[in-house]
Amino acid sequence: MTVLELNNLSKSFGGVRAVDRVSMGFRKGRITGLIGPNGAGKTTVFNLISGFLKPDEGKISYQDQTITGILPWKVARMGIGRLFQDIHLFPHMRVVDNILAAFQKQTGENPLLALFVRPKVTAEEKNHRGQTQELLRFVGLSDKANELAENLSHGQQKLLSIARLLAAEADVLLMDEPTAGVSPQMVDKILDLIKRLAENGRTVVFIEHNMNVVIEIADWVYFMDNGQVASFGSPDDVLGDPEVRKAYIGV
Amino acid sequence: MNYLLHILVIICIYLVLGLSLNLIVGYTGLLSLSHAAFYGIGAYIGTLLMMNLGLGFLPSLALAVIGAMLLSLTISIPSLRLKGDYFMLATLGFQIIVFAVLYNWVGLTRGPFGIPGIPRPSLFGFQLRTVGHYLGFSVAVAAICLGLLFLITHSPFGRVLKAIREDEMAAAALGKDTPRLKVVAFSIAAGFAAVSGVLFATYMRYIDPTSFTLMESIFILSVIVIGGTGNVSGPIAGTILLIVLPEALRFLRIPDAIAANMRQVIYGLAIILIMRYRPQGLLGEYRFE
Ligand SMILES: Nc1ncnc2c1ncn2[C@@H]1O[C@H](COP(=O)(O)OP(=O)(O)OP(=O)(O)O)[C@@H](O)[C@H]1O
Ligand SMILES: [Mg+2]
Repeated sequence: MTVLELNNLSKSFGGVRAVDRVSMGFRKGRITGLIGPNGAGKTTVFNLISGFLKPDEGKISYQDQTITGILPWKVARMGIGRLFQDIHLFPHMRVVDNILAAFQKQTGENPLLALFVRPKVTAEEKNHRGQTQELLRFVGLSDKANELAENLSHGQQKLLSIARLLAAEADVLLMDEPTAGVSPQMVDKILDLIKRLAENGRTVVFIEHNMNVVIEIADWVYFMDNGQVASFGSPDDVLGDPEVRKAYIGV
Repeated sequence: MNYLLHILVIICIYLVLGLSLNLIVGYTGLLSLSHAAFYGIGAYIGTLLMMNLGLGFLPSLALAVIGAMLLSLTISIPSLRLKGDYFMLATLGFQIIVFAVLYNWVGLTRGPFGIPGIPRPSLFGFQLRTVGHYLGFSVAVAAICLGLLFLITHSPFGRVLKAIREDEMAAAALGKDTPRLKVVAFSIAAGFAAVSGVLFATYMRYIDPTSFTLMESIFILSVIVIGGTGNVSGPIAGTILLIVLPEALRFLRIPDAIAANMRQVIYGLAIILIMRYRPQGLLGEYRFE
């Protein structure tokens, strides 16, 4: 089942057509890789989906609703979460608080309810703290719970941003280079995590430069070049495509 | 003795001002130069309701708070789309307008002549007469306000405000309605500033616009920048330091004319030193970058 669909999306910056008539579909429970050279427009596609940029043309549909041009926080509320290429944690907050801030529909986010419906808020908070412990265990950061986020290593910060995304209950996960700049052991950990998320029914889209990673986990691949989708299909097909090899891998 | 009690009342008033501004500056990460405007709005609405309409203290207080919260929307809703420095400029404009209105709308506020003879509160049949009574009352009001602010900041709401301060884009990507949260935080801070205003008016029994100037907004901001923002102890330290230290000068037998200027010099110097050597303030957890 296709959950998220992009139809003829275009976005220009000045004279640069960063995204040029792009159409893509993402299926529930599948892992889709988005590859292409630097500047191909991959991150811009994510920015268009998550509402940080408005497309000049084209349509984005999510579960049969049109979500083109909706504000980022509304897109996120609908269940489309994203990881940023440059992580964007809450650096001066503790690891646990980074995750606790992410839960959706918290009663205590309304200050009046936080003051006057305390039993409910406290019960919710307790529940969220439990889930936070679980998420930290899931990404292997339990022993860092009370550290400030800024004190984590780069790889740990990536793991925390994934845990935070999961707390936000996203069904579609847009991951911008989740393994970049991370130690090999950490890469394995993150890939393992992504596979488990897809098995649980999450729709995963990830941008990646490491072809071994793409072959290992992707069910489907889009190759972008100059803002356009230049090739798509199974990882073997796309990576075997002579055009792709020429344009990207240089062999 | 009365003098000491007086200082303590003033500390109570500034604790509420500082800790409410901290909600904006330390938690939400916005610089505001309009806190004295809301302090003044509270003082004037409360006073006018008591003196012109003969309302009791508590209803006047409640309406002053509501009035300040509503007026805060006129600035927050249009300007919270603006980022950083632009938001601060909007609050600066608001501060200047409010002062101009208080000063020039003589028919309502008596302008520069001020309003004398403001009644001391009488609560549940008990008339507050002496400074001692008033101190007890201020401590109670400040304690309630600080308690409420503590609960507000130590809640999921406070945590999301901090997340906005840290990275608004990331907070939005997690489904947080950041403009609305900022509007709400700003109006809560305005409401508490109004409480301080009513306390001040009924304590001094006289108000005029010169208590609610841009200089005053800057003073309140320096109290929390020096003490430190983003937690509770920072603004408390700043309040005590900036109010007690200049008063202590009097005991050094420095003439009044000089002591008044010394207050300005002390906090100017303190700001420079803090910014240079300890940007997060004496006890704060959040530093401006
Ligand atoms: N906000 C922006 N303003 C102007 N130009 C932009 C903006 N965002 C992206 N671009 C341009 O759009 C093009 C596509 O950029 P994008 O970040 O989407 O590439 P990418 O495929 O993610 O590259 P990388 O692999 O290096 O992350 C580039 O030429 C980039 O300079
Ligand atoms: Mg990119």
